[in-house]
Amino acid sequence: MTDVRGGFLVIEGCYHCGARSSFFSTEPVAPIDEYRDGRHIWEYLSGDQAVSFGLRCDACGQTADLSAMTGLMMSLCEDPECEIGRLALRLGGQASIYVALCGDSSHESGRCVSDEGIVALGEYFNQGRRPGRRRIVVVPCRLRSDADCCRGIVISDAGLIEL
Amino acid sequence: MKMSEIVEKTGLEALSAWEDGDIPGVYVSDMASDIITGAPAGCLLLTLQTHKNLIAAANVVDAGMVVFGHDKRPSDDVLELAGRVNIPLFCTGDDTWTYALRLFDLGMR
Repeated sequence: MTDVRGGFLVIEGCYHCGARSSFFSTEPVAPIDEYRDGRHIWEYLSGDQAVSFGLRCDACGQTADLSAMTGLMMSLCEDPECEIGRLALRLGGQASIYVALCGDSSHESGRCVSDEGIVALGEYFNQGRRPGRRRIVVVPCRLRSDADCCRGIVISDAGLIEL
Repeated sequence: MKMSEIVEKTGLEALSAWEDGDIPGVYVSDMASDIITGAPAGCLLLTLQTHKNLIAAANVVDAGMVVFGHDKRPSDDVLELAGRVNIPLFCTGDDTWTYALRLFDLGMR
């Protein structure tokens, strides 16, 4: 794991179309301003502390492209109408599914976390696991049927104020 | 060190079902983001954090057991999630520093 940086995972929603957008901010305070971007009017929804990171292969030095990734979510989806839910139902207790999130839940831009990045994340999180443990399956968020239906737990530092 | 030895010698209260196994080391953190970038597989994760995020992070790094310090107790949905991914949860009345020292005295590093 390389280039580990602390910051905020900021999640915004467009209250016109319901789209979700997220980005990683290294500002000292999470930006909360509402703004217009094309047909969207983005409104701040949450801004938890989080980290961004890169992955580099120790053997060959190659760095995986994780530039489009804004977060990692443990999937709890078991909806047979969703590709990720179907995967969860098929794998059962053999694996835990984590969704690599990109900034644009609608995928209007056509951009998502790269295939190369998905493979690298899977290899990284499985390389040290103990025998007999669930494998980690990492999938890109473009497989979600709907950001509001395909739910999970985004890994961020929520809950710190409850300590 | 065996999990059973740690449980017995430090007087941990089990919050969920558990099976014995080797615990090769310790990681102390209350931040999910820190755990995914630093906790080694199989470790004892000592924390005050009882949010679901903790389980999502502990599972992806394959933590061997989680110990909540200062008598912190997670909610039922967190217990259910931990059970689903077979991460044993324990509780101690000690604060983090005191419990970490006890682990150190046992030879954990």
